[in-house]
Amino acid sequence: MSLTALTKPWEAMSYGFLDGSAKRELRRKMLKSVAVPGCQMPYASREVPMARGWGTGGLQVSLTLVNPQTRVKVIDQGADDSVNAASIRRFIARVAGTPTTKDALDADLIQSRHRIPEEILREDQVLVLQVPNPEPLRPVQPNMSIARQMHADADYGRMWLQLYEQIVRSGRVMQGASYPSLVHGRHVMTPSPIPRWDVPKLHMAKHLTILSAGREKRIFAVPPFTRVEPLVFSDVPYKVEEHGALTCTRSGTTGFFMNEIPRDDGSSAFEVSDSEWGVKTIRARDGNGESRGETWYKDGEMPQ
Amino acid sequence: MAYVATRGGERAIEQSERLFREEMGGFDRDRVEEVKKSLPYLIDRVMGEASLYDEDLAALALAQTGGELYEAVLLLRAWRTTQPRLQVAAPIEQDTLFTHRRISAAFKDIPGGQVLGPTLDYAHRILATDVLQGAPYAPEPVEPATNPSPAYQPSVSAWQAENDLIDPPTNDPTKGNDIPDLTREPLLFPSKRAHTLQSLARAETGGVLALGYAAMRGYGQAHPTVNELRLAEAEIAVTHPDGRQFSAGRVKVSQAEVVDKKGEKLGIGYAATFGWNEVKCIAAATLDLNSPGAEKGSATEEEFFLYHTEGVESSGFCIHFKLPHYVTFQSSLDAMRDAKAKKAGQSKSSDMEPAE
Repeated sequence: MSLTALTKPWEAMSYGFLDGSAKRELRRKMLKSVAVPGCQMPYASREVPMARGWGTGGLQVSLTLVNPQTRVKVIDQGADDSVNAASIRRFIARVAGTPTTKDALDADLIQSRHRIPEEILREDQVLVLQVPNPEPLRPVQPNMSIARQMHADADYGRMWLQLYEQIVRSGRVMQGASYPSLVHGRHVMTPSPIPRWDVPKLHMAKHLTILSAGREKRIFAVPPFTRVEPLVFSDVPYKVEEHGALTCTRSGTTGFFMNEIPRDDGSSAFEVSDSEWGVKTIRARDGNGESRGETWYKDGEMPQ
Repeated sequence: MAYVATRGGERAIEQSERLFREEMGGFDRDRVEEVKKSLPYLIDRVMGEASLYDEDLAALALAQTGGELYEAVLLLRAWRTTQPRLQVAAPIEQDTLFTHRRISAAFKDIPGGQVLGPTLDYAHRILATDVLQGAPYAPEPVEPATNPSPAYQPSVSAWQAENDLIDPPTNDPTKGNDIPDLTREPLLFPSKRAHTLQSLARAETGGVLALGYAAMRGYGQAHPTVNELRLAEAEIAVTHPDGRQFSAGRVKVSQAEVVDKKGEKLGIGYAATFGWNEVKCIAAATLDLNSPGAEKGSATEEEFFLYHTEGVESSGFCIHFKLPHYVTFQSSLDAMRDAKAKKAGQSKSSDMEPAE
């Protein structure tokens, strides 16, 4: 064997931007995070050609998982056309030559910032969630090394106390998005700042969810068919946003998570947050064929 | 009716980037060369924060970003991280540094002498407005010393160690690829010594200064005395596969040692970085000096200052707040409105309670 047989021609950039050693590390850490659901695994987190805090963690996972056949969907706050989603989608397609899609059912890999699509994901799909702050204990313990120890000890007392204090002060749990949830009965994780509406979609889901925080250098996962239980007291049930009865003014769809649009007259209009679901609903309404898949929520309620 | 915005995002981001680039117009190798020649200290700062020593690439990054420093550093870091790590250079001892400037505030004179070297420290900071009137600025020529100071100098702390004033750090025998590399591993706490020094070396100058200054003003336990400040060039010695050691060139480095009384001996803080950046080294060494035993959550605690002086991460997170957050905001609104409604309901019912 000669040296030339072992080398390959020089290229300006590796396939999928990241070099082999970065991808290898990410694969190892992903496997670890699948093996210990909800447990945060530190990783080196390379710089990518995008600013930290703009989805660099999700991007590194996506770039490691894709091959030229992977159909990629990217959403930001539910929308495919959001500027940063467009930027990430364009980047992945540019450096990895992947086909892109806006249809959640058509995608092999979905990178998302803060939403889970309304249609049920399948076993063969991977959801990559961008995570700004991977540490659910941060509000009660900003020091990462102490928080790490608390996870090791399953020491979540202060977490419960915080929820209890909210109920005493405000009459309800005031946590908006990023609702802390117990994964596989062991690790408390943040589901990333998805609305409370989306957290039940992770529970016993068929798809794999990988959550990655690039700036904070932590990766964690919810493997398929894993319990994800929001932290609640037995006498105060978990409450999702009261969006079940709202109707989208553009598509007419009802029973999904909505964006509130303030109006000049002081009132509010609502638009469905999952933009592609809105598009599909409009298409069906206008007689252009039914492309909507089955949804997690039925008539604005999550079946138990 | 249809979702007309579907392609809007892509067009908008394309045009917004064009608007940004339009201001600087096109640029070529000449502009990069001009940036490199005229702004060596900016180049140094950028190379240090990028942890990439390449003057041409640093100048290119500055030209390409119009001097947006955080963007320039990010460009270089993102380029750097894709490069293979071919070799680990031999460790550099202080007395092998080709020294341009070396001063100590701890002693009036030191073995090897005080070498002022290039500095603006004693310049009167008067803006050369004549240049704007058309008078070119020509610096006075340097007059060579009759007795040039030696290019290689021992470290001040070596003398202190000999005189039992300082406990020198124990020799770390770790070699080559076994040396922890911050660019290939996550930073965990308590931090490995190599990670701490690497992290400070590529920290953002302003961030290090802010926290270092806080420690100097009294939010730290130790008051720094500059034991030694040095601007130098370091020989990068690498080993050829056939075993011969050769020089891959010299890089500009700066380093600072600061000391403080710690019982009967001196405590020492150290920092070094690529390029000549005195403010950063003194501030970083001050943080290092203050970090042993610092209270959790204080500005001089290692976890606190290493996380918060990481320029690429801090600037990225700061500007990420420009991204839409309406989903999270909606989620909070829902909880607030519900809590408010509950309160209103409660106070109504309590109004109806008969007075006791």
